[in-house]
Amino acid sequence: MKNKQLGVLIAVPALMLAFSVQAHSEKEHMEKAENPDCAAMNSMDHSKMDMNDPVVMAMMQQCMSSIHGSAEAESAPHGHGNSHGEPMTGADKAGEHMQAPAK
Amino acid sequence: MTAFKKKGGCFKRLMAVAGATIGVIVLGGVAFIYSGLYPMGADDPHSDITTWALKTLRENSIASASKDIEVPSDLNSVERLLKGGADYNDMCAGCHLKPDQKESDFTLGLYPVPPNLADITLTAADEKAADQRNFWIIKHGIKASGMPAWGPGHDDVRIWNMVAFLKRLPELTAAQYQILTARGENDPGHH
Repeated sequence: MKNKQLGVLIAVPALMLAFSVQAHSEKEHMEKAENPDCAAMNSMDHSKMDMNDPVVMAMMQQCMSSIHGSAEAESAPHGHGNSHGEPMTGADKAGEHMQAPAK
Repeated sequence: MTAFKKKGGCFKRLMAVAGATIGVIVLGGVAFIYSGLYPMGADDPHSDITTWALKTLRENSIASASKDIEVPSDLNSVERLLKGGADYNDMCAGCHLKPDQKESDFTLGLYPVPPNLADITLTAADEKAADQRNFWIIKHGIKASGMPAWGPGHDDVRIWNMVAFLKRLPELTAAQYQILTARGENDPGHH
């Protein structure tokens, strides 16, 4: 009986320690996640951007909602534009949607 | 016959002297290890010869261990760049810095000083070897350097994502880095 209690006393902290050192997931980093500063894209020279460059494409993906938002606001009176869920094409990225997001 | 005996005696004496010399060196080395005379502080650099020996040992060991690693063909993908960037920012930037950052508490205090990965020159000639090297180092770490092995807690895909990000890191501006490494979702403000 005493051995059983001792076993539990050792096993519980050991299990807690084992769980604490499990591989950490990306979600654990989300607690202190900061948002992309998409406004900074305004100051970038868009004419020098290669729209096929993965870095530029990645930035566009990060700021997609912001870019779409501003494009939608601009284009709404003219009656054209993409819906929110629609993925951007190369032409979209290179064209008017590349305009700076609204402040 | 006498000449042969003389030669044999000479050889024996030579061997005895060589053995004694090696013995003295080994004993001296052991005595030095136990003496406590070697400075172990991270703020007291190794001598040039020790630095050379350790660096040569490290580079040759990593090159040998990583030479057969297969490099994925999609290291230029946007997904890898974004996932690797976020992980780099959380796990590596403290020691290996961000664009426009010159130092951190870790770079000031660690020895050897962690390389500034945001400010290094990459040569296209050894691109594959560099990718293999980076993957191996991230996965296995480096003994007594402060570089941990991330392999036990991170799968290969995640490590390759970081390698993918490292390929583009030196050319990023601070603003690009911030956008690429942010884990949060952009809030356009009016949704």
